[in-house]
Amino acid sequence: MDTFWIGLGVVLGSVGVLGYYAFVFLPAQLHRWRCQSLRAFAKAIELRTQGRYGDTELLAQLALAVSTRLGIEGYERKRLELAIYLRDIGMVGIPYALLNKTTPLSPMEQLTLARHAEIGAAIVEQIPGLSAVAELVRLHHVVYAQHPDAPLSAHLLAALSDFVEIAHHQDYDAALATLRAGAGDRYHPQVVQAIEAELAARPLTSWAPLRRSAALWLGLMVYPLKDLTRLLVELARH
Amino acid sequence: MSPERREQLRRRYWLWHGLLSAAALMILIGVGNPLQQGGHAPLLLGLGGVALLAELLLVRYPLRHGYTDRGIWMSVSTPIVAAVILLYGWPIGVWLDAGVTFGAGLLTTRLKQSCLHWVWLNTAQSIVCAAGAGAWLPVVLPQLPFTPGLNLALALLGILIAYSLINILLVSITVTLAEGVRLRWVLRESLFDLPRETLPMFLLSLLLMVMLRLYGFIGSLAVLAPYLALRQAFILYTRQHELYHQTIRSLGFLIQRAHPYTGGHLQRVAQWGRKVAERLGLPPERCELVYEAALLHDLGKTVLDERILNKTGKLTPREWAQIQRHPQLGAEILSNVPFLNEIVPWIAYHHERLDGKGYPYGLEGDQIPLEARIIAVVDAFDAMIGGEAPSQQRQYRRALSIEEALEELRRGAGTQFDPQVVMVFEQVVQEWLPLSRIAGGK
Repeated sequence: MDTFWIGLGVVLGSVGVLGYYAFVFLPAQLHRWRCQSLRAFAKAIELRTQGRYGDTELLAQLALAVSTRLGIEGYERKRLELAIYLRDIGMVGIPYALLNKTTPLSPMEQLTLARHAEIGAAIVEQIPGLSAVAELVRLHHVVYAQHPDAPLSAHLLAALSDFVEIAHHQDYDAALATLRAGAGDRYHPQVVQAIEAELAARPLTSWAPLRRSAALWLGLMVYPLKDLTRLLVELARH
Repeated sequence: MSPERREQLRRRYWLWHGLLSAAALMILIGVGNPLQQGGHAPLLLGLGGVALLAELLLVRYPLRHGYTDRGIWMSVSTPIVAAVILLYGWPIGVWLDAGVTFGAGLLTTRLKQSCLHWVWLNTAQSIVCAAGAGAWLPVVLPQLPFTPGLNLALALLGILIAYSLINILLVSITVTLAEGVRLRWVLRESLFDLPRETLPMFLLSLLLMVMLRLYGFIGSLAVLAPYLALRQAFILYTRQHELYHQTIRSLGFLIQRAHPYTGGHLQRVAQWGRKVAERLGLPPERCELVYEAALLHDLGKTVLDERILNKTGKLTPREWAQIQRHPQLGAEILSNVPFLNEIVPWIAYHHERLDGKGYPYGLEGDQIPLEARIIAVVDAFDAMIGGEAPSQQRQYRRALSIEEALEELRRGAGTQFDPQVVMVFEQVVQEWLPLSRIAGGK
C-alpha cells in the first residue's frame, strides 16, 4: 500500500511539474519575450518623434493597471499589451518634418498625422502572429461618439494615448482634466472612470521613481552576471 | 568548400558509417535474442508501440536555418529505453531502442527527407548508446550504498546521462563529418543543452518505471500524458526561435521603410557578413548573429529625417552630424530587446575605423569588435558598388566597378579597415562574382 501512495505521488508530482512548465510557465515567458522585443519598436518611434507623443512605459503601466479594473483579461489583455508597444509604429510612414513640427499643425497636416494608425495597422498585419493586434493599432485613436462598439481595450488605448501625450507637454492634472471633459463624447465614460479610480488609488508621482529603481536594480543584477560568464568563457577558451 | 575537401569529408563520413554499423552489428549478435531468457514479449511489443508513438508525436522543427537542425534534441524514446534497461536488463533495452529507432526512421523518411542509410546510421547509433548506457549496470548497481529505491533512481539518472553523453558524442562526430564544421563547436553546443534536457527525461523515466511496476503495461500508457506536455513545451521553444527571427525580420521591414534601399543591399551585406565570419573561423552561432547584425546595422536610420537620408547633394556639417548619430541610435533601439543584447556593440561601432578616425566614438584597433569590423568592410563595399541605392547613388561619389571597389578596400586596409577581414572578404567576392554575372547582377 505504501508503494502505491508513493508511486501515485511521484506520478502526480511529475505530471504536475511538466504540465505547469509546458502550459503555464513557457507560454508566459514567451509572451514576456514578445513584449520585450516589441519595446524596440516603441523605442525607435520614441526616438524619431523625440518623445512628444508620451512615455510608452508609463502608458504600459497605466494600461495594465486600469485593464484589471475594467475586467479586460486573458487573450484580450495580451493583445492590449502588444498593442501598447506597436500603436505608433505607423509614425515611420509620416514625414519627419511633420512629426517634429513645433508650430501648431494645419487641419491638412493633422489629417496626414492621423493616418499613422492606418499605416501602423497595415504594417502590423504583415507580421504573422501579430495580425490580431492590427485591429487595436488601427483603433488606438478611436472616438467614442463615432464608434461606441469598438473593443473596450481600444477605447482604453485611445484615452491613455491622449493622457500620456498631454502629460508630456503639460502635467498629469491637465491630462486628467481633458479626459474628464471628453468622457462620453471623445472617450468611453467607463474607461475614464476606471482611470480616475486608478489614479486616485495610486497617485502617478509615486510610479516613475519606482520604475527607475527597479530598472537600475535589474541592470545591476544582470550585467555583472553576464560579464562574469563572458569572462569565464574567455578564460576557458585560452 | 572545395571539391577535394568535400570528397575527403565524404570518404571519412562513409568510413565512420562503416565503423558504427560494424560496432552495432557486433553488439546485436553478441546480445543474441533476449526474449528467450525473459519472456516479456507482449509487454515489450506494447512498450515498443508506446515508444514509437511518442517518437512520432514529437514534431521536430529545424530551429536555425543554415545550420544543422538542432535535432540533436534527445530521441524521445530515450526515457522509455532507460526504464526498460533498468527493469528488464540492457539486452532487451538495446533491441527495443533499435526497433523503435528503425521503425520511426522508416515511417518518417518522407517527412524528414532522409534516406535508408541515414535511418540505419541512426539505428546503429542508438544501439551503441543503449549498450554503452546499460552494460555497466550489472556491475555497478549491486555496489550502490543507499536504500534500494534511491539506488534505482541513481542508476536511472546514470543511464540517462551516459546515454545522452554517448549520443551527443556520436551525433556530433556524424554532424562534423557531414557538414565539415569543427567538432568542438558542435560538442559545446549540444553539451550546453544537456542539463535542461536530462531533467524532464529523468522525470518521465521515473514515472514510467513506477507505473510499470505498479500497473504493468496499462500503467505505461499514462506516460503519454506528460509526453504531450513535453511536446507542447518543445513547440513553444520553436515558437521562441520563430519569434526571434520574426523580430529581426520586422525590424528589417522598418529599416526599408525609412531608407529607400534596394531590397538587395541589406540581404547582400548580411550574407557576405556571415560568409566572412565563417571564413575567419567564428563559431556557427556567432556567424548567424553576424548575419542578423548586418541585416539590422542601419536600424538607427529609421529615427533620422528622411530628407537628409535621401539628399543627393552635398550634406551640410549639421546634417552630417545627424547622420553620424545613426549607429548610436540603432544600438539604443536594440538594447531594449534582451535576446539581441550581444549585437548591440557591433551596431554601435560599425562606422569606427582602425586608425580611430571613425564615428561616433572614435575607437581604435582592437577596441572595435571583430564583428563590427566585418560589417564595416562589407557595408562599405556594397555602398561603393552602388548597391545601397543605385537609383540616386551616394551623394559624394559615383558607383565604382567591383575591381575598383576592391582596390579601394585594399587601400583602406590597415587605416580604415581590418586587413585580415579585407583579405577574407576579397575571396568571398571572387566566389560571388561568377554567380552574380549569371544572375544578371552588376
